[in-house]
Amino acid sequence: MTLAGLGSVTSPTDVAEGETAPPSGSPGPNFGGSPSLRDRLRGVRLPQLAQVARPVFWLVLSLLILVPCVCFLILAVSPRLFDQGPQWFTLSNLRGAFTGATAVALTNSIWVSCAAAGFGLAVGFPIAWLSSRTTLMGRRFVMGGMWLVLLLPSWLPALGWERLVETDGVMNRVGINAPFITHAILGPFGVVLLLGLRCVPFSYLAVTLGLGGLGQEFEDAARVHGASRFGALRLVAPILLPAIWSALAIGFAESVSDFGVAATLAYNSHFSLATYQLYENIDNFPPNFPAAAAIAWLLVLSVAVPLALQARSLRGRAYAVLSGRTRQIVRRQLSRPGQWAASGGVGLFFLFALGIPAVGAVSGSLLADYGASGRITLVNYRAVLHGAGQWGPIQRSLVYGVLTATVTVIGGVMVAQLLAKRRTRSTRFLDFLLLASVALPSVVFAAGYIFAYNLPIFSRLGIDIYQTVTLLIIGYVAASLPTNARVLVGTMAQLDPSLQDAARAHGAGPMRAWVKGVLPVISRPIVMAWLLTFGAIFLELPMSQLLYAPGSPPLSVAIQDNLGNYHFGVGMAQAVVAVVIAFAVIGIVLGAYRVLAPAGWRRMGVAARG
Amino acid sequence: MADRLAIAELHKVYPGGVHAVRDVTLAVEPGTFLVLLGPSGSGKTTLLRTIAGIERATTGSITIGDRLVAGERIHRPPEQRDLSMVFQDYALWPHLSVNDNVAFALRRRGHSRASCRQLALTMLERVGLDRLAERYPGQLSGGEQQRVALARALVGDTGLLLCDEPLSNLDADLRERMRVEIASLVREVGATTIYITHDQQEAFALADQVGVMSKGELVQLGSPETVYATPSTRFVARFTGLAGELRVRVCSSPSPRGTVNVEPVFAENGIPIHACIGRDAPSTGEATMTIRPGAVALCGTEDPAAHLNGTVTDVAFRGRAYELAVDLRGGGRLNGIHSERRVDRGSSVGLQLEATGCVVFDGVGDGDAGEVVGLPSVDMDDVVVGMPA
Repeated sequence: MTLAGLGSVTSPTDVAEGETAPPSGSPGPNFGGSPSLRDRLRGVRLPQLAQVARPVFWLVLSLLILVPCVCFLILAVSPRLFDQGPQWFTLSNLRGAFTGATAVALTNSIWVSCAAAGFGLAVGFPIAWLSSRTTLMGRRFVMGGMWLVLLLPSWLPALGWERLVETDGVMNRVGINAPFITHAILGPFGVVLLLGLRCVPFSYLAVTLGLGGLGQEFEDAARVHGASRFGALRLVAPILLPAIWSALAIGFAESVSDFGVAATLAYNSHFSLATYQLYENIDNFPPNFPAAAAIAWLLVLSVAVPLALQARSLRGRAYAVLSGRTRQIVRRQLSRPGQWAASGGVGLFFLFALGIPAVGAVSGSLLADYGASGRITLVNYRAVLHGAGQWGPIQRSLVYGVLTATVTVIGGVMVAQLLAKRRTRSTRFLDFLLLASVALPSVVFAAGYIFAYNLPIFSRLGIDIYQTVTLLIIGYVAASLPTNARVLVGTMAQLDPSLQDAARAHGAGPMRAWVKGVLPVISRPIVMAWLLTFGAIFLELPMSQLLYAPGSPPLSVAIQDNLGNYHFGVGMAQAVVAVVIAFAVIGIVLGAYRVLAPAGWRRMGVAARG
Repeated sequence: MADRLAIAELHKVYPGGVHAVRDVTLAVEPGTFLVLLGPSGSGKTTLLRTIAGIERATTGSITIGDRLVAGERIHRPPEQRDLSMVFQDYALWPHLSVNDNVAFALRRRGHSRASCRQLALTMLERVGLDRLAERYPGQLSGGEQQRVALARALVGDTGLLLCDEPLSNLDADLRERMRVEIASLVREVGATTIYITHDQQEAFALADQVGVMSKGELVQLGSPETVYATPSTRFVARFTGLAGELRVRVCSSPSPRGTVNVEPVFAENGIPIHACIGRDAPSTGEATMTIRPGAVALCGTEDPAAHLNGTVTDVAFRGRAYELAVDLRGGGRLNGIHSERRVDRGSSVGLQLEATGCVVFDGVGDGDAGEVVGLPSVDMDDVVVGMPA
């Protein structure tokens, strides 16, 4: 992208700059790079480089995102194409997905996701309203708490809850005998609760954004023109419909494509969900790729349908309630009982979403005898820090996270710059591709990778990366790139081209102009995107579970293995250490940015955000 | 049927102690167009919202017609006050069509759906938007949205219409056109209107009565002519348009017509200046004289009638004539001085002051003695200057 971007801005000054030293006594600006590099680049015309770079870029993007997923999905209807069956075209795999255990898993996934999305909205809407429209105590911390819930992978809270309430869990060890809680959590109710708690931040963010654009004057206008308090609310509520639809659609899509809860709490409760069913079809020997592909089709459809319905229902109704004018926020004064009730309710949510899982994980990690006794000890932490094979996965995931975040952010900036600058047919397609990829369940992505890179054609092409760390990293990058690019494209779109033009007009070369004129403005979003990717990859489960190289399990897989082998204490200690490390890395990076970035960069970053 | 509005000893104190409205008492006769003028933070929006019932009065009373809507332990909610309002950002419900927005006020008054629709359409026709009745607010321009908001406020035929800076979001040209439309439509329906703005030109152009607010208080209430000619305080004089202020020395006793002779502290030409006596003006010693742009006339430097001399520092062509900024020889500057002909920058000019636009107040200027503080001017074409009372 950068080379492609440079093609249109080459000027004779680029070459002339470093060739002759400025006359004595007139230092002049020296924005150029080292002469040796310039010498090497001399003679290479940037438009030519762009011509080569563009197809390479599309090829890489296709190999990363398009080919694996498309191959895998085609497999469901044409197994012969990939030597996976005798038929060139068949619907039998899709029909098969509607029978037996797969049908049960699909039905479970759909009703549980509907319930979770509804739960998310029912809890997220009032919290959003309370924190943006009332004098709720501690409302400043709600947003941070929501991001925390959002950033933690779903399997972590699920494990915490599970470890707390299971028959021989922490509750039982400390003498609390409440079988009804165990039965409730380790079953459909618990699955809905866990997935629903995860939907709450999406609802909260969507409704908060909606409320932010919804000035108090809409309600005032209704009251002044004769509506009662209730009538005014009824009139104004539809303005929030886009936010409500978004919350429901995203909540459903997130829940139906979730693998973390499906592979932990749901699996251990013998409550089958479609994502885990897909995983089992690949994980069993021999793997049944066509059946897995059929489930992938249905998962993709079940994600696409609500998103399409949302888009259709909102067509022409994207109410433009935002204006350049800053509206005064009118907060309703809560009465003392109201304050206690509201704060208690919000606190209860965070207790369920973060507090109880944290208690479950930490207490589980402090129990001795691999979690089989009630004695408090640090032996599990010692095992994680010094035991054979326990520290390796943490180091591995740390490296994978840093590597993936760095590569993804570089790629994300390039893609985002492409999307923000030009609206051609190819960039529109790229935009669609990224949006579709964001909606694609990770487990489908991973399955596509396993299948595609196991195909003989890749071996014939010399691409033998199946069951290697390389494939896992590529999978991580491909899965993170769409979200990353979508996050950065907003910032890129706001960049005024004159920033770069001004630097060039004052003598900077193309790269120097970007570094001096653009990078400072986008530095903070870049750091945030890096942290977002690192956090997601460090604790990532579905891709890791399906793609890890034998003998080199990443952190999430190692934790699952420990729990699967009844090493509960070590597994939970590993999870606790992982969360602490993730927070430490986030703190170090943010601290380093604060200390090392020039003051101007930090100010520009704030301006770009705001 | 227009309503009479009476406000007595009204206070509004927000939680946290901000005293937004202080002891406001006023009466607005039926059919009167009252403009409340004041800078940001002067309490005018709070006063309007308290009249509407959106804010609850802390103490004092509000009576609309013969209904006490706010008083001791009485707070009628907005929907029971039978009024309508045009909001600053229009507050058009984005999910309702233009017709539905306008018809909303009627449906609440018990009209049938068909009747609502027809009446709304008739009102939209009056504001020239009947062809856009089925569109949504997001599909309209700023001026069209403003007219829909006005139609919604007028269609209910309420006795009291409140307008919260409805023109502030429009560009200059559209603002002037909409001002004319509002003035004619509102007077056509005959509603009592309370209109707030921080733009003195808009206020003088629209109002039957102008109330000037500062720091929550209503500091002057009167006709535009009275407020302009006899500002009650230096704040009112400044906020309604000055060429500048001048430190002067009172050198005569007050005349029966309410004027006094003064001379600048820097003793310019020795010709006494006739000026009106403002509230609390001292009978002797130093004072501050506010000067309206219309009170300054250009003359030659050697003209025996010239009160002040100075140098032209800026010339602005305003279409029909020029506006000059003149640095006075004794220090300070006067802005917005009318001239029929172009005067080159750097030219020396004489200035003659008329008593009707010069008012003497107690107190000193913002700067050192003799300093003249230049302030934004009011175009004399927009106002009628009356003789001081």
